[in-house]
Amino acid sequence: MIAAVQFRNFKALRSTGVKLAPFNLVLGPNGSGKTSVIQALLRLRTLAALPASAEPPPDTGGPRIDFAFAAPYQEIGVSLGCSADEMVCNVLTVNRPPGAAGEALWEELRARLRTIRAYLFDHYAMAAPGKTEERYELVSNGGNLAAVLLHWRDHQPAAFAALQAEFVRQMPEFGGLDLRDGAAGTVELGGRLKVNGHEFIAAENLSQGTLYLLAMLVLVFSPAPPAVVCLEEADRGMHPRTLREVRDALYRLSYPRDAGMERAPVQVIATTHSPYLLDQFREHPEEVILASKQGPAATLERLSDRADIMELMKETHLGDLWYTGILGGVPGE
Amino acid sequence: MKIAILSESPADEAALHVLVEYVLGGPFTPVQSSLRARGWPSVEQVLPPVVRHLHFNTDADGLVVVVDSDDSVVHTPEHEAPGYHHGLCRVCRLRGAFRRTVKNLPPAHGRERVLRAVGICVPALEAWLLCGRDTSVNEQAWLDGQVKGRPPYTRRELKWRVYGTERPSLQHELKRAVQEVSRHRGDVRRLENDFPNGFGALARDLRSWREKTDGPVR
Repeated sequence: MIAAVQFRNFKALRSTGVKLAPFNLVLGPNGSGKTSVIQALLRLRTLAALPASAEPPPDTGGPRIDFAFAAPYQEIGVSLGCSADEMVCNVLTVNRPPGAAGEALWEELRARLRTIRAYLFDHYAMAAPGKTEERYELVSNGGNLAAVLLHWRDHQPAAFAALQAEFVRQMPEFGGLDLRDGAAGTVELGGRLKVNGHEFIAAENLSQGTLYLLAMLVLVFSPAPPAVVCLEEADRGMHPRTLREVRDALYRLSYPRDAGMERAPVQVIATTHSPYLLDQFREHPEEVILASKQGPAATLERLSDRADIMELMKETHLGDLWYTGILGGVPGE
Repeated sequence: MKIAILSESPADEAALHVLVEYVLGGPFTPVQSSLRARGWPSVEQVLPPVVRHLHFNTDADGLVVVVDSDDSVVHTPEHEAPGYHHGLCRVCRLRGAFRRTVKNLPPAHGRERVLRAVGICVPALEAWLLCGRDTSVNEQAWLDGQVKGRPPYTRRELKWRVYGTERPSLQHELKRAVQEVSRHRGDVRRLENDFPNGFGALARDLRSWREKTDGPVR
């Protein structure tokens, strides 16, 4: 949906931009702007909920972020700028086609932008019993995982069944998920072992990776997914061999038809520090964005923009290439 | 017979399991079924420790190693000449790594060494999967393309033809891989005809095990 982003003086992203694909894996050293890209999208979401400014703010050289969009919104441009006395982007201006049609198109895009979501899962939060009233949508740290699953089980049984089937396929020691009433109106999540008399393993005793997997599956099987999902540290808690499943799960969001799902594609922006996850994108370098730091400034580069990338990959893993530093996107020493 | 398979992905492994059974003429007992490499050049890097491990820590009779050729030099009959080694051919390199590793190993588990069978998918497993279904896909077409500097198809195109998408899930890959190799119903002559160097090398290695073992290869 978002075709490109151009940054000026936004945190470490002083003067850089990047085209976005339906799926994007962003990697680079700490402080290279990976999270800033996501923060820019969240800022766009926040400001899209407010009335747009009629005029752009005076250019004081402060932060500015320009967004371009894919069809059918390609004629709309959105800029986030800042008013003279501010250093954060707090003014949204829209360049759209004139007339009622342009207005309607912007309203449609705006509604989609407001669904942008970002996640950095926290296994401690996910393991805690959930308050049943927080049940409609997974929060950014996954903290209401149990409540969302309870809601799905009772009101979205097809989604719950699909998620559970995928969970037990990937974690064959489990026969299913269990949701039990906890103290003070809370719900406890757990897994039912296939053996040992279907023993209930409470979420606090599930591995971190198991909880991360469950949260990711909630995103993948959501009946009403957002237009854009940003996922920090997508490889977190996962064994390197299971990263292919992580990639497959995220592809289900971006390319639902390839997975036999009939719904709108979700644009995914995932960050990682894992060369093993990067290896999974050997055949799709156009889906990889390298963030690099030169002093205090960071730049973004799509891997497929390197003319020699296919030649470089002939005898080496993509992850190993990245680690060597010849692709950029590594810490300075 | 107890056999380990080292390949680049679970889908490759599933397909190879079926094909090895076809060549040997019956089922075998898998050893160390969790062996996996991350793809070339990992296979070459991990091969020596894998061979040592199988030799000393298991009772495996043989190891099957199959990799994709990608854009590398394709193994040809010239490479089979005694003492010949092509430094850019993956079959030659894998055989060399295997030879160097087993050379100084003492006997273990009642056998001199673990047998080896090396194959190469030209340019990728999906080409083997299309054998008999898409006549334009074969080793000669790929070799001709290399000579002309214009490959007849890309890995991405092969994926499309097999999976209907460039981004198949692992589950879909597994299912399709087994479906396609099972079409051969135990008869691998077409595969040996269309892929005489990559699949043929593997089949010849496997059949040679009969001579190196006493009794049937089962």
